[in-house]
Amino acid sequence: MSASATRGAVRPDLEAVFRQEYARVVGVAARVLGSRDQAEDVAQEVFLSFGRSAVPAGEAGGWLSVAAAHTALNLLRSGRRRSAREETVASTADVTTPDVADTVLTLEDRSRVRAALARLPAKQATALVLRHSGLSYAEVATALDLSPGSVGTTVRRAESALRKELNRHASSD
Amino acid sequence: MRHPTEGVLRRLVDEPAGVSDADRAHVATCPSCLRALDDARADAELVGAALTSAGTGTVDTDAAWARFSAAPATPASTPAFRPAPAAARNRWRTAVRRPAVAALGATVLLTGAGVAAANDWLPIFQAERVDPVQVTSADLVQIPDLSAYGDLQITREPEPEEVADAAAAQERTGLEVPEVGELPEGVTGDPTYQAAGLVEATFTFSADKAAQAAAAEGEVLPPSPAGLDGSTLRIQAGPGVAAMWAQPTGVPTLVVARVGAPTVASSGVPFETVRDHLLSLPGLPDGVAQQLRSLSADAGTLPLPVPAELVTSSTADVDGTEATVLTSRNGLFAGVVWVEDGVMTGVAGTLSADELLSVARGLR
Repeated sequence: MSASATRGAVRPDLEAVFRQEYARVVGVAARVLGSRDQAEDVAQEVFLSFGRSAVPAGEAGGWLSVAAAHTALNLLRSGRRRSAREETVASTADVTTPDVADTVLTLEDRSRVRAALARLPAKQATALVLRHSGLSYAEVATALDLSPGSVGTTVRRAESALRKELNRHASSD
Repeated sequence: MRHPTEGVLRRLVDEPAGVSDADRAHVATCPSCLRALDDARADAELVGAALTSAGTGTVDTDAAWARFSAAPATPASTPAFRPAPAAARNRWRTAVRRPAVAALGATVLLTGAGVAAANDWLPIFQAERVDPVQVTSADLVQIPDLSAYGDLQITREPEPEEVADAAAAQERTGLEVPEVGELPEGVTGDPTYQAAGLVEATFTFSADKAAQAAAAEGEVLPPSPAGLDGSTLRIQAGPGVAAMWAQPTGVPTLVVARVGAPTVASSGVPFETVRDHLLSLPGLPDGVAQQLRSLSADAGTLPLPVPAELVTSSTADVDGTEATVLTSRNGLFAGVVWVEDGVMTGVAGTLSADELLSVARGLR
C-alpha cells in the first residue's frame, strides 16, 4: 500500500481496456467539450489514472465514462472554456455530420448548450452526457450511484433545462 | 391509474424495454402522457444533436495508444496525476470503485451511520448483495466503534414518516413501493406506508483519536497507512419506502420494504487501505474478522450482522437474484432480503420463510 508500490504498478490489462474503451471515453468527453482534441487529452488523463487504479476490469467501462465526464465538465467549467469554443468552430467546420438536426443548430446554439451544461448540477450533467454517450439506464445508475428509477428523471430535467436555454435565446433573437 | 413520472416517459423514448407493461399500456391510451412523451422525445433529440460534435467514429486508437505508452508516467504538466501521498492527490481520481467494504460496512451499520456521494466523489463501495455475518452478542460488544477512530458526523437524517399511500411514498423517495401479488393467509386489510429520505454521514479518520482509543483499551494500534489520517469517507443509504400490514392489535404481520442500498465514497485513500486497516484494528473478534475478510474478496457484498443465537440464515433464489433468508430459531418470524440494481428489497413478518419467499417472488 506504500506510494512506491503504486508508483511502479501498471495494470496488465491496461492496453486491452484502452483499446476497447478509448473511442467511447473520447466520445463522452467530446460531448461535453465539443472538441475532439481536448476530448483526446481528457481521455489520456483518464487512462493514466485508470492505469494506477484497482478498478475491477468488469467495471472499467463505467468508471472510465464517469471519470471522462467529470474531467471534461471540470475543464468546461474552468477558465479554459473560451478555447474550447474556438475549437468547436474549427472541428465542426471540417467534419460534415449527416444528422438532420445539425442543420438547424447553429454554432451559437451549441456554445449556449455547453455553457448551460456547465451550469447544471454535476450529477444531472454527468447523467445526461453518459446517457447520450450510449450507456444504458442501468449502467448510468450504477456508475452514478443513482437509483435506476431516477436516471430518467435526472436526464429529463437536464434536457429540459438545456432546451429552455435554447428557446430563451431563440425567442429573444 | 396514475400517470407515469416524467422519468418513466423519458426512458420510454430510448429504452422502452425498461418501462413496465402497465406504464406502457397507460401511455398508449392517455392523451396527456402522449403529449408529454412527445415533448420528452423532442427535447432528447434536440439536446442529443447539440451535444454531438465532430464524430467519434474516426478516433485513431492505435495512435492514441502510441501516444499514451510513450508519455512519461508522471508528466510534470499534470501534477494532479503525480503519485504523491494519497491525501494530497486529487480526490476522485484516486478514489477507487472497489466494493467490499466489509469491515467498514459492519461497523457502520452497527453505529447506525449510513454516505454522501457528492458530485465529485466516486463510489468505492456499492452494495450488490448481502451476506450474513454471524455475530454473537459478545462479539457485538467487542466490535470497535468507528467513532473511536475518527469523527463520525451524520450529515443528513432520514426523517421517516408515515405517508397516505404508495404514490405519496414514491413521490417523496422516487422509489416504487413493491406491490404484493397475493397476500399470505392471515394477512388482511390495507397496509400503512412509510417513507424515509437519505441517510448520509461522513467519517474522517483521526490518527490521534485512534491512538487515544487504543491506549484507553491498553492496546497497541497497528501503524496507520500513509494518507489515511484526515481522509474522509462518505456513507450513504436510502431513501426507503415500506408497506406494513398489522393485526388489529397493532402487531405487524408483514412488512415489504425497499431502500437504496448503502454506498461508500472515499476522498483519497483507496478502498483496500481502509479495509485492511479496519480489519487490523485491535478488538475485532477473530471469528468476525475472518468472516469479513472472506466477504471482502467478493465485490459489493454488504455484511449483514446476524445474531447467531437467535437467527439462522440460508439463501434462496428470488427471480434470478440470490436472496438471504433469515429465520428466527423459535420459528416466530422470518425475513428475506436481496439487492438488485443498487436497490435493496426486503420482506419480513411473523410468517414462515416459505410464505415470505412466495411473497418476495410475487412482488410487482
